[in-house]
Amino acid sequence: MKRGVNMKKITVTILMFLISALVVAGCGNSSTNSGKEAGESSGKTTKISFIHWRGEDVKVFDGLIAEFEKANPTIKVEMNVFPSEQYLANAQAKLLDGASGDVFASFPGAQFGSISKAELYAELSDADFAANYSPNLLAAGQKDGKQLAFPYQLVYNQPIYNKTIFEKLNLTPPNDWEQFLQLCETLKKNGYIPIAFPGADIGPGQFINSMMMNNNTDEDIWAKVESGQAKLTDEWFVRTLSQFKELNDKEYFQKDSLGTSKDIAGSLFAQEKAAMLATGSYMMSGMKQQNPNIELGLLAPITVAADQAVYEGIHTTTFMLGVNALSKHKDAAIKFLAFLSEKQNAEKYANGTGQLVTVKDVSYKTPELQHSATWMDKKTRFQPRYLIANAANEKAVTTSVQAVIAGKTAEEAAKNAQALIDQNIKK
Amino acid sequence: MKHSKTLYLFVLPGLFMYLLFFVYPTLNGLVLSFTDWEGISSHWNWVGFDNYKRMLFNDDIFQTALTNNLKFMLVVVIFQTSISLIFAILLLKNSKSNVFFRALYFFPTIISSISVAFIWAFVFNPNVGVLNLLLGKAGLEALAQNWLGDPKLAIYSIAFVKVWAHAGQMMVIFVAGLQSIPEELYEAVYLDGATNWQAFKNVTWPMIAPAATIVVAYTTIQSFKAFDLIFAMTGGGPIYSTEILSTYIYHTAFQGSEFGYAAAQSMGFMVIIALITMGQFKLLKGRSS
Repeated sequence: MKRGVNMKKITVTILMFLISALVVAGCGNSSTNSGKEAGESSGKTTKISFIHWRGEDVKVFDGLIAEFEKANPTIKVEMNVFPSEQYLANAQAKLLDGASGDVFASFPGAQFGSISKAELYAELSDADFAANYSPNLLAAGQKDGKQLAFPYQLVYNQPIYNKTIFEKLNLTPPNDWEQFLQLCETLKKNGYIPIAFPGADIGPGQFINSMMMNNNTDEDIWAKVESGQAKLTDEWFVRTLSQFKELNDKEYFQKDSLGTSKDIAGSLFAQEKAAMLATGSYMMSGMKQQNPNIELGLLAPITVAADQAVYEGIHTTTFMLGVNALSKHKDAAIKFLAFLSEKQNAEKYANGTGQLVTVKDVSYKTPELQHSATWMDKKTRFQPRYLIANAANEKAVTTSVQAVIAGKTAEEAAKNAQALIDQNIKK
Repeated sequence: MKHSKTLYLFVLPGLFMYLLFFVYPTLNGLVLSFTDWEGISSHWNWVGFDNYKRMLFNDDIFQTALTNNLKFMLVVVIFQTSISLIFAILLLKNSKSNVFFRALYFFPTIISSISVAFIWAFVFNPNVGVLNLLLGKAGLEALAQNWLGDPKLAIYSIAFVKVWAHAGQMMVIFVAGLQSIPEELYEAVYLDGATNWQAFKNVTWPMIAPAATIVVAYTTIQSFKAFDLIFAMTGGGPIYSTEILSTYIYHTAFQGSEFGYAAAQSMGFMVIIALITMGQFKLLKGRSS
């Protein structure tokens, strides 16, 4: 009898557990807040979520958020940072959920394409604060004539160089490929690593931009490669890989560059063992922190004769701020975005983080930012790598750079990369 | 009869968890593998067996990843099993020094894989790493290598780290197996004039077959799923030389935004692991019986 009673209790407990679990699971997606901007309309605090990948900017954003919350006491901003390598995976889940990522950052190119295709950007074409931005720097966040996101940062994806070393050796940024090779040779002869190249991670993807910018000036070249109208075995790409190989074979990169990560390459440069760092302007402030005495400049290898060069460098408008179309607090999210877009706040962000911004008339305080800002007047090209729509194709391209450094011929590396692209076209 | 029915109810919570967290996601993955879902939008198309056809006949990287996986698995299984067995034999007796060394060799097991990966990535670094530095100091510069940057070497460097991190764990299983062998068996073979090698071959090895089965099966599955170590040390590079199936699935889904195709790869991955594990069990079971 006692066993029967216990059994009944156990059965009921298990059934209750199962039923409650099913109820919880069933309710998961349907419990929506039907009252739009309920918090705001009732005077209660509205909490918005801001997600991005720049851990190094947290301190500056904390200050800006505090100012925003002071000016808007009914809105609280919760910031979440995910490392850039995992950002795509995390951001997708968060955005789909709709409960977080009211304001979110995204990368231009493939990620912008995926998110806009999924209709997760709220349209911001009519936003008043759009006028605060340089109109020529907004294209990366536009689709079908609609402004879906505002690129906040302006980055130059081309080598940084040590001005002091250049001045000491009487060197100037080169105007053609021969001059670039001579420059590297002089640096090498004087005991410097000419180019610190992080071949293990970001190096190939960064340096290929400036290495190819004048070898093929067609803005649609990657679209053509991805549709099969152009091939990586074409002369321009094989030449680009040959030039990479030349730099490697002449030992202008540090030894074992394929085993060198971004941080280690950065250290070689900050310690003034290397004269150039093949990454981009986004690393200038970090280098300055590591070595406050270092004087920095930007240059790009011109891989053709001076009279054939069309572009002087590479730029990217990135850290694209958008509002989640599924957000329940769109008005508050737009208010926060408008706040970040104000000149004085963009200025605080720029000078606090050492990054150029796309907001107009910002005054830059540091010599590095002032130097980088001079590049706004030069003829630069939007980062071509970001125009490769398919991530597997992008990897095939950057891997071909590693392949020539590992010893393959340019023709062989180009052929292997093209074979992978052919498979992706056929899929 | 009533009693046994009652017992079944105790299984229900576990069964529910298993269904919810294993069977449901697996079936969901199976369904997804027949779609072209890119991971964000709520729309997708059914593509039939296209993802599977692509995986089998039109994806060189998948074949490369599988080859890398098999290479990695073979090296790790052979070295991890033999090294852990040697350590177990050497440290079998429960003396104070042996207990200390067992704890020492077991220690890497308790460090998280990501920490292990970062530590060894630093050790292997060709510019500032301690390994090449020590080789240089010892006058062995010729042995200094680009451990993680050389496409021919990188997968073996990571396999070494895997063995370093888990040999101690496997050693404990072997120690337990060895300590369960009756002393009389050794007395008998030594009375018959057996050498140490003959004693090992005819007594130790057959008697630790169940432990060896566990070690080999566990090591195989773990080496096939060595995602964290590879992801943190090389990310699958250089030139796909350390790309294994688990990292490739991750790249396909989260970098390539091809969740449908990644689901098909996961199904393929599951079948491959199941086949290899079944083969091993059959082989080792036959030997142990």
